[in-house]
Amino acid sequence: MDPYQFTKMVGLSTGEKHFIWGGIAQDLRSDGRQRLHYRPISVETGVIPQANGSARVRIGATDVIASIKAELGKPSMHQPGKGKISIFVDCSPTAAPMFEGRGGEELSTELAVALQRCLLGGKSGAGAGIDLSSLIVTEGKICWDLYIDGLVVSSDGNLLDALGAAIKAALSNTGIPKVNVDLGPSPDDQPEVNVSDEEFLQFDTSGVPVIVTLTKVGRHYIVDATSDEESQMSSAVSVSVNRHGHICGLTKRGGAGLDPSVIMDMISVGKHVSEQLITVLDSEISAAEASATD
Amino acid sequence: MRELQVGLNQTQKVRLQSALRQLEELSSRVSNSSTASVTVADTIPVNLEDGVLKGHGTTEHNGEVVATLCGVVERVNKLVYVRTLRARYKPEIGDIIVGRVIEVAPKRWRLEINFSQDAVLMLSSMNLPDGIQRRRTAVDELNMRSIFEENNVICAEVRGFQHDGSLHLQARSQKYGKLERGQLLTVPPYLVKRRKQHFHYLEQYGVDLILGCNGFIWVGEHIEANEDEMMIDNKSEETGKPDLKFTALEMQEKAFTPFVTRRNICLIANAVRVLSVLGFNLSLEVIIDTVEASSSLNLDIKDMLGAEFCVLTAEREVKRRITLIKKKC
Repeated sequence: MDPYQFTKMVGLSTGEKHFIWGGIAQDLRSDGRQRLHYRPISVETGVIPQANGSARVRIGATDVIASIKAELGKPSMHQPGKGKISIFVDCSPTAAPMFEGRGGEELSTELAVALQRCLLGGKSGAGAGIDLSSLIVTEGKICWDLYIDGLVVSSDGNLLDALGAAIKAALSNTGIPKVNVDLGPSPDDQPEVNVSDEEFLQFDTSGVPVIVTLTKVGRHYIVDATSDEESQMSSAVSVSVNRHGHICGLTKRGGAGLDPSVIMDMISVGKHVSEQLITVLDSEISAAEASATD
Repeated sequence: MRELQVGLNQTQKVRLQSALRQLEELSSRVSNSSTASVTVADTIPVNLEDGVLKGHGTTEHNGEVVATLCGVVERVNKLVYVRTLRARYKPEIGDIIVGRVIEVAPKRWRLEINFSQDAVLMLSSMNLPDGIQRRRTAVDELNMRSIFEENNVICAEVRGFQHDGSLHLQARSQKYGKLERGQLLTVPPYLVKRRKQHFHYLEQYGVDLILGCNGFIWVGEHIEANEDEMMIDNKSEETGKPDLKFTALEMQEKAFTPFVTRRNICLIANAVRVLSVLGFNLSLEVIIDTVEASSSLNLDIKDMLGAEFCVLTAEREVKRRITLIKKKC
């Protein structure tokens, strides 16, 4: 993404920019947070009844919805033992004036690609945060295709982390119907499939990573940047970390280059922050699930 | 205003609801029967034989006067109109506003002020930096960017509407002008009531607070009216470019707002944020009261935006209004 795109949108004066820089240098940001503090996160699950799973996550004024739709499909030839997941992101034109018309498309694709990289691992499926082999029904014949859709309702920075959190929450809200398969007499026959309306299998989300974006402004880097702070960034590194502290994916945005040692430093800080984020998110998700069942 | 989301737990929800209900009761007790509030399609009782003048927000339907807006019915002699409670900012002459420059045009700056149209600040309706009263020359016009650039936040006064319907501003005093070293907050404009004073210098905090009538609120480091401004101008001339980003970082860090002042700015800004989320009117006393409450609770600044403080603020407001009513009685 063009880092200066946001500058035009927000339009800060030199004085305000200087104030933001100073705040980050002095470890006291405009809303009183320190560099490695997140804004309060709130999670709501089951917001879309038609979907298999859905969740809405709000971080400050950033508001995103993720929905998950499962469909039966055929596994690809190269990976007969694995299901398929595709991620799409849409930026609502109501979120910001720059998303009007085709304005949000570039950002949407970039967010979708970053999410794929952070959650799905490489092309071969290695290092995936979501276990694809759990989506298989009959090897080589039938598997579940998961369509993950993200919608940005309101944008105040840190969209990637919010979308990552929403997808994690939506996955834990997802029930995949139980399937009974009648294999035909010969292996070439199309197997008969019976989808249960009542029995659902819970998705195992313990391995799903969270995404922590570290935005570099000046010499320091911050987590959970607001859009004002994002307009001042030189580059941003997004690390997706799972519960065991393993890095599942890594993306970098922004024009400016980074020294390898800085990246290593950012990764270790991101890993440290992710521990707190996972704890907060887990408690929020279980609270949301509890209130949904009430 | 992008609303901050507060995640309340069950007890906090109950407490907030009871506080808000109390506030509602208090306000209904204060207002007498003449100020009836109406919603859209409510009939406004009038004596039609008197020849009523239907004003803003009213229309005639089946021989009755009906409200087309939500608000409070106001009657001035024969005129009946609805004063809306939530509406976009409507400028009045003499309002002190905070705005952002969006365009430098010939002899004028165009400003975004949260109104349905952009406001205009003419070069001729502001004092020049040298302070001399004279005709504006072509040279002055060429140097307009040295006074205000695009995106600058400035403070001015509403001068009035011109014949063509455009809104003009003026800045004929030292107290008006560019605002730097601080943050701009946006709140719903109906939360800022017109007062005698909109500029506040909070000495104990070393902070300037400007409550713009248009809902733009500036919280920044205190700047002495005359000398400091000149110094800042000199500084930017020395460095040659206003974009300090890539000049010596060491120099810049010295120029940053002192940590204590920054703490106070963030404190006050968060107090304003909490109050605007709750929809309480913003006056200096209430803001200071909220700031003091947070420091007496020994809260972290960022926790001021949390659920607990939000509920506490609502409960404090109830107490404050009860004491106000008692004083009146």
